[in-house]
Amino acid sequence: MALLEVRNLKIYYFTREGVVKAVDGISFSVSEDETLGLIGESGCGKTTAVFSILRFVVPPGRIVGGEIIFEGRDIIPLSDEEMRLLRGEGIAMVFQGAQNALNPVMTVGKQISEVILEHESITKEEAWERAKSQLELVGIGSERVNSYPHEFSGGMKQRVMVAIATACNPRLLIMDEPVTGLDVIVQRQLLALTNSLREKMRLPIIFITHDLSVIAETCDNVAVMYAGKIVEKGDTVSLYKDPLHPYSKGLIGSYPSVRGEKKELKSIPGAPPRLINPPVGCRFYPRCPYAMDICEIEEPELKNVGDNRLVACHLIK
Amino acid sequence: MTKSEVLRVENLKKYFPVKKGLATLISSRKMEYVRAVDDVSFSVPGGKNLGFVGESGCGKTTMGRAILRLVEPTSGKIYCEGTDVTSLNKKQLKSQRRKMQMIFQDPHGSLNPRRTVSEILRQTVRIHELASSKAEEDSMIKDTLEEVGLAPAEEFGKRYPILLSGGQRQRVGVARVLILRPKLVVADEPISMLDVSVRIGVLELLLRMRDEFGISLVYITHDLATARYICDRIAIMYLGKVVEIGPTEVIYSKPIHPYTRALISAVPVPDPTVKMEEIPIKGYVPVSVTDAFSSCRFYPRCLYAEEKCGKEEPSLVEVEPDHYVACFRAKERSLRA
Repeated sequence: MALLEVRNLKIYYFTREGVVKAVDGISFSVSEDETLGLIGESGCGKTTAVFSILRFVVPPGRIVGGEIIFEGRDIIPLSDEEMRLLRGEGIAMVFQGAQNALNPVMTVGKQISEVILEHESITKEEAWERAKSQLELVGIGSERVNSYPHEFSGGMKQRVMVAIATACNPRLLIMDEPVTGLDVIVQRQLLALTNSLREKMRLPIIFITHDLSVIAETCDNVAVMYAGKIVEKGDTVSLYKDPLHPYSKGLIGSYPSVRGEKKELKSIPGAPPRLINPPVGCRFYPRCPYAMDICEIEEPELKNVGDNRLVACHLIK
Repeated sequence: MTKSEVLRVENLKKYFPVKKGLATLISSRKMEYVRAVDDVSFSVPGGKNLGFVGESGCGKTTMGRAILRLVEPTSGKIYCEGTDVTSLNKKQLKSQRRKMQMIFQDPHGSLNPRRTVSEILRQTVRIHELASSKAEEDSMIKDTLEEVGLAPAEEFGKRYPILLSGGQRQRVGVARVLILRPKLVVADEPISMLDVSVRIGVLELLLRMRDEFGISLVYITHDLATARYICDRIAIMYLGKVVEIGPTEVIYSKPIHPYTRALISAVPVPDPTVKMEEIPIKGYVPVSVTDAFSSCRFYPRCLYAEEKCGKEEPSLVEVEPDHYVACFRAKERSLRA
């Protein structure tokens, strides 16, 4: 059985202007030895979707339907206290923008051990030792345990965030745009760290990003999101080689690379729809170069087309 | 200066004084400076795009701003089509700015939210006195909006920036520049805040500025992948200095400076079958640099450093036609490459 299974999840924001269907019926699962990438443009609902896995949905947002099953139990009806225990120990998260996520007036050692003390009944000294070994694990070195966040560079702060997230040996790690805003060299070092952690701790990871190349370097499987829906899902290698959904095609075709022949880039016309009144049929219909009459009226279902590939498009039979 | 050059920059420096407390002021200790741009020289031929690539803090943005004198250079000369920009007074600078324009990173912050798109453009037209009548203004605005892909122009002209998507706003940013028909445009990370699917559209627009209107672009970015698509030449900056400059494909296919090589090998590739390589670099970028360099500035992080590299700073040397590298071991490295 899958470690995490999300079924037909719907999260709407009830705003004064109307109901924003940020996540509108998505399903996916993560197994114990999998790295899943969720890719999409800003506003496609990827962050909202994974925030809900930790139940970080705040008003005017609300989970209006679906199930989030982690290790066999649905977490949506859990009490706040049960949820608090699950966070960090069961599911942990590395947030976007480490600069703002750390407490500026607390040493990093304190910030790491605080999390451990919250979840485990051990002494402060033991927690402090664990904090040191966490810092070793992420490649910072235990001698920096008494440093404050401002003494670190952006990449190192993000490493501290990883140290905090993995301090209680979680069973699932979620990383939300962990390398966005970091310089390429630092970015690469952090991706290498993620990959090595995954091997060392046998830790399944959900990676959220808008960056195709980051997914290519880290994830086994990838789900492409567009306007609150998953439009295609499959293993990374075959999806990148042969994208089936016109949006995945467009996304991959518009992505530049520094390696190999300089390929012709094609842009996708138009912009993503507003989610207050999304198109009735396929949400990609107004931008799709292959649109047919049926696409305007009927929403395509996410269908299995073999080899673990799922696609939501009327073109694919 | 050759005639075909649109921009020539000679020994440009921009130092920012480090503000210290009163005590240091009184004790007459030497002022410290952050050398954001430290002796940079280059030129841009007409109708060619030059990319400046480097990590955050390398001085690329300061350099772009200094070219337009949005920050005053500490020293050095800037020539635009032969005019010495550094010696102009305020009034002369205003008319010079018609030839040299800037596209900013943030399309949300750089447009006045209380003006419609056509009012924004009309302001530019009026400041530079481009039109003699309102009808002429209107037709210029309409044509420019269509040129940047905001058609129908009547409809987009009436909108306020808040009603536009990020990509459309950045197109307004381009329109505001294009309406002046400048010779040189400095674009500072123009697409980094846009969605992936609309980035290429804006890049294509920037390319059209070069191809249809002969506008040269100085493209400032941290993104090596997009720079490859719109730049004819690339300059790699590290801690305020250009360490390598040359034709784009040469830089990408056979980089010579150890820093360029590290930078390029670190760029993630959108191909899951490519394995991550070890990056040939050690240590971190220093947090702030206030002292003058007595060694190669990459020396502490370089895996190929020799004794000489720690004692002297190398200057840019031409290793093959139009390809300059600031490294003592450039010749020997280029042979190996």
